[in-house]
Amino acid sequence: MNNWEPKILAFLCNWCSYAGADLAGTSRIQYPPNIRVIRVPCSGRINPLFILKALRSGIDGVLVSGCHPGDCHYLSGNYVGRRKSATLKHFLEYLGIEEGRVQFSWVSAAEGVKFSQVIDEVTQDIKKLGPQKQFIEEKDSRVQVAKGPSEETKNPGTLEPSNP
Amino acid sequence: MVQKRIREEAKRLLENKEVDVIVGFGEGSLPLRATPIFVRKPEEVDRLIWNSFCENNLAAYLHKLDRFKVGLVVKGCDARSVTALALEKRFPNHPVYLIGVPCQRMVDRRKIKRAVKKEILKAVDEGGQIIVSGDGFQTSLKKDDFLYPSCQVCTHRNPDQANVIVAEPVEEKALAEIHPDMEAFERMTPQERWRFFEKEVSRCMRCYACREACPMCYCNECFVDNSRPKWIEKSLDPRDLQFYHIVRAYHQTGRCTACGACERACPMEIKLNYMTQKLNQDVKDLYGFETGVDRETPPPLSTFETEDKQEFIK
Amino acid sequence: MKSKLDKKDFKPFLQGLIDRFDLYAPVKAAEGVSVYQKIARPEEVNFDLLNPQKPLKEVFFPQTEVMFCYQKAGKKNQVTSTEDVNRERVIFGARPCDIEALSMIEEVYCGKEYTDVYFSNKRKATTIIGMACETPLSTCFCTSTGGSPFVRKGSDILFIDLGDTYLVELLTEKGKGFQKNPYFKEADAKDLALAEDLEKKALKKMESSSNPRLPLEGIEKRLDVMVESPIWDRFHEKCIGCNTCTFLCPTCHCFDIADEASGNKGQRVRNWDSCLSSLYSLETSGHNPRPTGRERTRQRIMHKLNYFPKLFGKIACVGCGRCILYCPVNFDIRQTIEEIQNAK
Repeated sequence: MNNWEPKILAFLCNWCSYAGADLAGTSRIQYPPNIRVIRVPCSGRINPLFILKALRSGIDGVLVSGCHPGDCHYLSGNYVGRRKSATLKHFLEYLGIEEGRVQFSWVSAAEGVKFSQVIDEVTQDIKKLGPQKQFIEEKDSRVQVAKGPSEETKNPGTLEPSNP
Repeated sequence: MVQKRIREEAKRLLENKEVDVIVGFGEGSLPLRATPIFVRKPEEVDRLIWNSFCENNLAAYLHKLDRFKVGLVVKGCDARSVTALALEKRFPNHPVYLIGVPCQRMVDRRKIKRAVKKEILKAVDEGGQIIVSGDGFQTSLKKDDFLYPSCQVCTHRNPDQANVIVAEPVEEKALAEIHPDMEAFERMTPQERWRFFEKEVSRCMRCYACREACPMCYCNECFVDNSRPKWIEKSLDPRDLQFYHIVRAYHQTGRCTACGACERACPMEIKLNYMTQKLNQDVKDLYGFETGVDRETPPPLSTFETEDKQEFIK
Repeated sequence: MKSKLDKKDFKPFLQGLIDRFDLYAPVKAAEGVSVYQKIARPEEVNFDLLNPQKPLKEVFFPQTEVMFCYQKAGKKNQVTSTEDVNRERVIFGARPCDIEALSMIEEVYCGKEYTDVYFSNKRKATTIIGMACETPLSTCFCTSTGGSPFVRKGSDILFIDLGDTYLVELLTEKGKGFQKNPYFKEADAKDLALAEDLEKKALKKMESSSNPRLPLEGIEKRLDVMVESPIWDRFHEKCIGCNTCTFLCPTCHCFDIADEASGNKGQRVRNWDSCLSSLYSLETSGHNPRPTGRERTRQRIMHKLNYFPKLFGKIACVGCGRCILYCPVNFDIRQTIEEIQNAK
């Protein structure tokens, strides 16, 4: 467990957050290497299903970052995204997804330092939470499937071949 | 009597050719059930009934009847669904004529069956009592003890948006402050909540009765059928079952009228309303929005305010 | 050969089965919901419901079944099939209607020309212990479809609940293999008389006013000339097109195959499919030969009452009543049958 490093997906809006990340890089500011960046045109483009699919695929944490309110390159994309983010976050936490798995930030193109701080905080939070197990854990919670003995060695969804 | 007024109104509409078809409720073939019926001739209006078993949301049929002028029998929740659909511009050709019935609340047939051990062969709705009878027994049940939880918390029983309202308005007073399933759920720890959710949806068999019964689910291609991108598989992988239910509920954000049709349709009796009630609660708290109460306010996820809450954003 | 099993020996009897076989029985999934599941302890068996929601076919034709897995390792491809059944199986508590339905699926899946190995391997390795229905529901109509609540056909062993004992009838060669079970005692005349009495009562209920007989005579021939009848325009109206009736129907047996792949490995999976979903007949070109609910509902009813009888000589319905009980909009196939027979 000690050498587990979380995998964090960071959706960064092209005009502000991605540029901010870029600035952090060119300024040689150190930040944890756990994030994988996906560049999107605007934080409003984020389909909530991206976040869910990420969790389902085994990602330990998701960050969505956009322009500050009022500064969106497309004028109101981040406002629209803000409502989706709020409702999704409340819903997921209500269902029991750990608080802190899915996080949001506003980072502008000039905020290289803030970007590295955000990544720092998010990575620490996810490290404390541990590996994401809710969407990925293969438990025998399926009540309805009458499993035959040949399926005992695997469940649909794992990709392990059965022992011949 | 409400039933008589519904029939009169339906007859009038059909005779004047104001509508092509009336969608209402008829006598079910099982006790404790009413069934959707489609009346096209004035002489057939006597098939229309009204009682506490009229649990379906008939607005779900509007999508496949969009070529026709439809007269719809609606309770409070159903009428709000129609308003919400109209806001989403689902009726460009013909506005829907609403025959509104102030709702006396619907009974939970499963709860009644569990309370009566033997098979019920006949059930009669007598206002405050439901008289059930079977082989060698007859019992009178107090209706208020057997209401659907979504009806207990309802504060929009009057279909204010209807073209005609066929009875005196009922008092808008909820019988319970908070939906009992939601209350029980909120009292659990996050780990317990996820376990509960996991266990509930683990018996899902992807029949999509919940989706088809919902008037707000009308996408030509549902996300479950998308292959590019493929969000989930068609199999009963527990993760896919969880994904399906989270997304189906989430897609109702700001659109759901808490009619309960989804939970009532499920053959495996999976609890669903604790999720939709929470989403409705959130949009009310965050954006002051309630689905279908007026024809102007746009759905909350299609708009924004510069002052929207954002304390959760770093 | 009639034996009996005292109910006080029921749990040890089941435990004996669990030790030797994979034992499947109705299990409570939630309040008012049962499914067939492999059990690990005798306490799991539950007969709260007359018939579980999900039908017996699931034990032989699971809703999700992996057909094979593959993994690419270097230049080699390793493919592992899942058709083998490693342990003998026993089903306890199947109802005669579900058992009859299973034989219909068997006609299709273990046919003359082609055998579905996944199904047939499971079928060959399974002993069926049926449970007679003493109190059929008002939605049951097995006697109209050629069955009966106490019919022995298809069961290897039939249990009849006599109160504090079960009467045990060993019917087939497979069933007689259980003759020496330590918990079986010889049934006496009193037990046999009681069983006969219960059977008469059940049959009487099936003939009473709460279970009127359905006019199924000649329905196949009637439907031959009704393909373009206007009655189909009305039948489909209230159907919302979910998959509930097809999934819960013990005779419905369609499936769709999908490949689930990730990088170098994957599996081929088959899942139940329903002719009532629009995607079922949607072709790659975008054309759909059954574009609306009208065509799909017509297809389902014609398949059950006309196409299947043409191929196999019996209607594809065993009268279990699940479609009636669980349809969200109370679509009732009994009414459909009456209307077809009475249509001009």
